Amino acid sequence: MNASSVSLPIRLLVVLLLVVIMAPLAVPMLMAVSDSPFLTFPPQGFTLRWFERVLLSREAQASFLFSLQLACWSTIVALLLGVPAAAALVRYSFPGRSAIIGLMLSPVIVPLIVTGVALLQMFSSLGWGDTLTQLIIGHAVVCLPYVVRSVTASFMLVNRDLEDAAAVMGAPPYKVLTRVVWPQVRPGILAGAVFSFVVSFDDYPISMWLADGRHFPLPLYLHGLLERSIDPSIAAISTLVILFALLLVIVIEKVFGISIARLAT
Amino acid sequence: MSVVSTPALPSTEPLVFAQTLRRWAPGIALVLPATLFLTVFFVWPTLQMIVLSVTQRRVDGVLIEGLTFDNYLRLFSNDLYLRVLLRTLRLAAASSLVAVLLAYPLAIAIARGGPALSRLVTITLVAPLLVNVVVRSYGWSAILNNAGALAYVLKVTGLSSSPPALLYTEWAVLIACVHVYLPFVVMPIATAIGRIEPSLEEAARVAGASRMMAFLRVTCPLSLPGLAVGASLAFSLTAAAYVMPQILGGNFSPLLGTLIEQQVLTLSDWPFGAAISTLLILVVLSVNLVFIGLLNRHFSRWTGGAK
Repeated sequence: MNASSVSLPIRLLVVLLLVVIMAPLAVPMLMAVSDSPFLTFPPQGFTLRWFERVLLSREAQASFLFSLQLACWSTIVALLLGVPAAAALVRYSFPGRSAIIGLMLSPVIVPLIVTGVALLQMFSSLGWGDTLTQLIIGHAVVCLPYVVRSVTASFMLVNRDLEDAAAVMGAPPYKVLTRVVWPQVRPGILAGAVFSFVVSFDDYPISMWLADGRHFPLPLYLHGLLERSIDPSIAAISTLVILFALLLVIVIEKVFGISIARLAT
Repeated sequence: MSVVSTPALPSTEPLVFAQTLRRWAPGIALVLPATLFLTVFFVWPTLQMIVLSVTQRRVDGVLIEGLTFDNYLRLFSNDLYLRVLLRTLRLAAASSLVAVLLAYPLAIAIARGGPALSRLVTITLVAPLLVNVVVRSYGWSAILNNAGALAYVLKVTGLSSSPPALLYTEWAVLIACVHVYLPFVVMPIATAIGRIEPSLEEAARVAGASRMMAFLRVTCPLSLPGLAVGASLAFSLTAAAYVMPQILGGNFSPLLGTLIEQQVLTLSDWPFGAAISTLLILVVLSVNLVFIGLLNRHFSRWTGGAK
């Protein structure tokens, strides 16, 4: 089917929609360089002092680093649990297999805010665990479905004939695993890891229940800042967050060769 | 042959059983850690919360134990809570409907637009998902406030000198929800449209159908499975939204999520918070089941079994 199968009115509508979709990411970037303490549009003058203020803020640095740390730990836990589970779900048959698939994907169906409050209730009634561990557990629950889905998909694409060929030619099982299976499932594991990182890094509804003053992820810090102040420093920090996300898009698409569309499917 | 093998059967049964166990063992061992993790940290706390909502109630700040449906009666008898519930359902339905309407042109562009357009639309659509919800909401507030970008554009283009007051209304929440949940509706529809043979539409066109007619009678019915998935996702995600109503809806239009937070963190009324949470789970699950049920029973007739 050639490109002309999309009619001109639909093309124009699509362009308009894309502009509207990008607007909430573009407007904070414009406001961030505005040389006026108020958030009026259009921005006036040009200054980088809001960026300077944000980058030098101890609180902002601390919450960024904490979010980074939390996202890395949650991703590691989700991978350690999710990769073997995905392999088992594709390669082995055992009783309750379809029920377990349902279980693995169910954290995406239950509202996150409910998962968070349920975990808080359990942790506080047990009086167990420090805040960081609780946050890692909560995030890993939510990240796990993304890892399982992505890795399951890549295990299903593995060509079994290659493994048989390698085994026939005398490769020991560990060599088949590292030289034949691993290269085929690596993209799926990488995609799962990246999506898991993004989900944890951007999470609000789990963190809002489990965080405390010393463990304060970036989205919570930003919400607090938004309620306290109206000057463009919030626009500056939003710009940095948006640029970080766009950088991730480029890395995911160009370097890893993973379609980010899979995050929404 | 069968005569020879029959006497051997009883003695092989334990062996077969052991073999089956051995065949299951590696799979079970690999899947066990994740299953235990989710059982302990997801299923158990959720069940515990549902149980809490029917075994405890707070009266004048004192917790009373024992089987009770007071928390739910309170939810449905109080006008304020009922209004929050209805607002949540209304907003979720509106978000789902608007997202579906906007999704079609985008899905058509992705499925039929050639590689360059398809990629541009996909990346633009999904990129906002990588930005956290607070920043996205802030972006919308910078557009929708009365000295914001929308007011400016309306004034410059001469469309309106007094911009509509959208910020801190349900409209702002609706706009922001549609914005971020749109990819979850577009992608399944685009996949469904991509699976339709282009020759079907061409046949309709050759037979004299207008573009619009070909879309309404061919493309649209065949894409209904994708629509059902997307619409139920948009409904569920909007019903459970917390941050966007908080930042964009102002203090006067809370949704169920805000109600849970208030009851638990501000008023420490855990049993009532648990009841609202349970209701939210029920709303989301029933909408998903209804959509999937419709899909299986009614749509299959129109879609010729397309999945």
